[in-house]
Amino acid sequence: MPYRPTRRELLALALALPTVAALDACGTGGDSGSELSKDPVTLRFTWWGSDARHQRTQKVIEAFQKAHSTITVKGEFKEWNGYWDSLATTVAANDAPDIIQMDELYLASYAQRGALLDLGTTGKYLKTADFDANALATGAIDGKQYALPVGLGTYSMVVNTDLLTQLNIPMPDDATWTWEDLKTIGKQISQTGGGKITGVQSWGFDAGGVNIWARQAGASLYDDKGNVAIPPQVLADYWRYLLDLAKSGAAPQPSVTIERAGAGLDQSGTATNTSVFGTWWNTQITSLTKASGKSLKLLRLPGEAKSAAPAAYYKPSMFWSISSRSKHAAEAALFVDFLANSQEAADILLTDRGVPANTTIRTSIKSKLTGTDKAAADFLDAVKVSKPPRVTPNGASTIEAILKRHTEEVLFERATPQQAADKFIAELQAEIKAAS
Amino acid sequence: MSGLNTPRLRAPARPRRNRDDKSFRTPARSRRNRDNKAAALFLLPWFAGLVLITLGPIAASLALGFTDYNLIQPAKFSGLHNFSRMLSDERLHQALGVTFTYVLVSVPLQLGCALGLALLLDRGLRGLAFYRSAFYLPSLLGSSVAIAVLWRQIFGAEGMVNQVLDLVGVQGRGWISDPSTALSTLIVLNVWTFGAPMVIFLAGLRQIPVMYYEAASVDGATRWMQFRKITLPLLSPIVFFNLVLQIIHAFQSFTQAFVVSGGSGGPSDSTLFFTLYLYQRGFNNFDMGYASALAWLLLIIIAGFSGINFWAAKYWVFYHD
Repeated sequence: MPYRPTRRELLALALALPTVAALDACGTGGDSGSELSKDPVTLRFTWWGSDARHQRTQKVIEAFQKAHSTITVKGEFKEWNGYWDSLATTVAANDAPDIIQMDELYLASYAQRGALLDLGTTGKYLKTADFDANALATGAIDGKQYALPVGLGTYSMVVNTDLLTQLNIPMPDDATWTWEDLKTIGKQISQTGGGKITGVQSWGFDAGGVNIWARQAGASLYDDKGNVAIPPQVLADYWRYLLDLAKSGAAPQPSVTIERAGAGLDQSGTATNTSVFGTWWNTQITSLTKASGKSLKLLRLPGEAKSAAPAAYYKPSMFWSISSRSKHAAEAALFVDFLANSQEAADILLTDRGVPANTTIRTSIKSKLTGTDKAAADFLDAVKVSKPPRVTPNGASTIEAILKRHTEEVLFERATPQQAADKFIAELQAEIKAAS
Repeated sequence: MSGLNTPRLRAPARPRRNRDDKSFRTPARSRRNRDNKAAALFLLPWFAGLVLITLGPIAASLALGFTDYNLIQPAKFSGLHNFSRMLSDERLHQALGVTFTYVLVSVPLQLGCALGLALLLDRGLRGLAFYRSAFYLPSLLGSSVAIAVLWRQIFGAEGMVNQVLDLVGVQGRGWISDPSTALSTLIVLNVWTFGAPMVIFLAGLRQIPVMYYEAASVDGATRWMQFRKITLPLLSPIVFFNLVLQIIHAFQSFTQAFVVSGGSGGPSDSTLFFTLYLYQRGFNNFDMGYASALAWLLLIIIAGFSGINFWAAKYWVFYHD
């Protein structure tokens, strides 16, 4: 008699199938020590950035493909805002791109959950000799090199010098200026700007700004163990200042600020020449200049002169990492090696992803830099920095979403700066605790 | 759900086939068996899809609801922790508030518009087919990304709404970026998609025998009285059908809020739909266990609302057959 499954058995099978599939997905990690394949291989490479970066990266991909005829690299690029949603979903679906441009905010969250390949296992194809130990350490967690730093950046104030000249307002001295000075000149600009132009583009949506504010007050956002350590008072002052900027007219109305913060770099106040001052990472000046078409200049941050130790720091602008489930880890490593160590790639990328962390490359491209690329590199050399903050702890990668929400609460006066500060700290700490 | 008095949810105006009808019977037993096998065979692809794509994940999400699962590492059993967490989760409470407001305001408005236009179109208008399609179109597009993007432009600080307001000398605002108006723009968007219920209302209106109206007008009933005493009662099964469907639909809204707020549910959580919060927990916070538990909470809420609807229907839905 032929075997006929009963309904019960079929049901059990149906329920078991997804489980088996899930177990299977856990089992098949990338064959990390693998050799290069002789057959054609297609790699997927994902990054975030502006139009200027997409164009440069596409050129690097073409150069790599010319040198390695069996490897095709497919670029998947997005704006910062959509990038992380998309990465999380692809990683969860076991469909992560092979090469992932990684940020300091998310590094621990992905690495400590096993989504990233230990680059130490791909040493045969990916050389790290030209990176100094301090730089490499920023991409290592628990002794494993999960990510390779691409470049260095530092937080800065970008000023539109064309607008300043047009409005006939003198350039402030960034060696001595304070946050009060910024507010005063911002108000002055908004008054003479005739409604269309405001002095300052409000911030309060990125982790860099909070880090700097905490460090200028002698505190830090996280302690060494990875717990939230910023005093509520310091955070409340931060929001009080932002609220002040908006109320005094130095920054645009809250709704305009929020609309721009939700759009990309190309629609920011700096890029559209509607704000004279704005906080940015120094290397973003190239993309910003391209978008605005005006002359932009990097200034040191207000308040640095009065701060006991410099609050500014070298932040690894981003990292290269490889998915732990990549089926072509060797080829992926070869591509990352090309991105990180080849002179050809460096000549195309210049400082768009930060002033290169690879010291040999950094020296070699110095002479080739012109315009804003040179300005970014010179600024990095000139600015006084201290030890960088610890890597964002596992679980805290949503800090910018939490920050944004509380900034909105404050700007629309639905919460006082003090209330926002207390809630922000409690919420962020809860996320860290939940992830550990 | 048995008993003759229980109202049934069903598509309107669908003729019922009497199973004892002789023409429905097959002549021989063997033929029926063969037919059944063929039917089973044809149903197999659908059934496989149902099990693998629908039932499997549903069962998996129920199981995940009792675990701590971060998407990348294996799930760890955590008992009822995900459910007890809901009690003190302030953002969840905010999301529930936003979602209830959205459902309770937008669905009645949407059905009101749908019924109103259906009544107008039912009066033998020339070019009815054109108008029907034109009004139906938004409900095909309403939950698409393109429309949500368009909405963000229209209600932006420099968008069309403000340009029009500017012409008449009114100072506009950033409708989408202001927490006090952001949700309203999404409600307007949902109301705008009244086309689907409207088409169903139209079909229902066509089913009402004209003789009732003739008799009523002979007796001197006004249009309003005809509407109250004839149209509404006879249309009530259709109203009920639309109400249940649109409530379920509204609870599940996601795309509009996601696109309009850039995935944040902002400004300051004013457009944090339940589904959006669920998505954030799952994919932004790598908190898939809790997200799965939230999905089941939503299921219970929708089931609850539908249950109340069915219960209340006993008192106002009239089946005249």
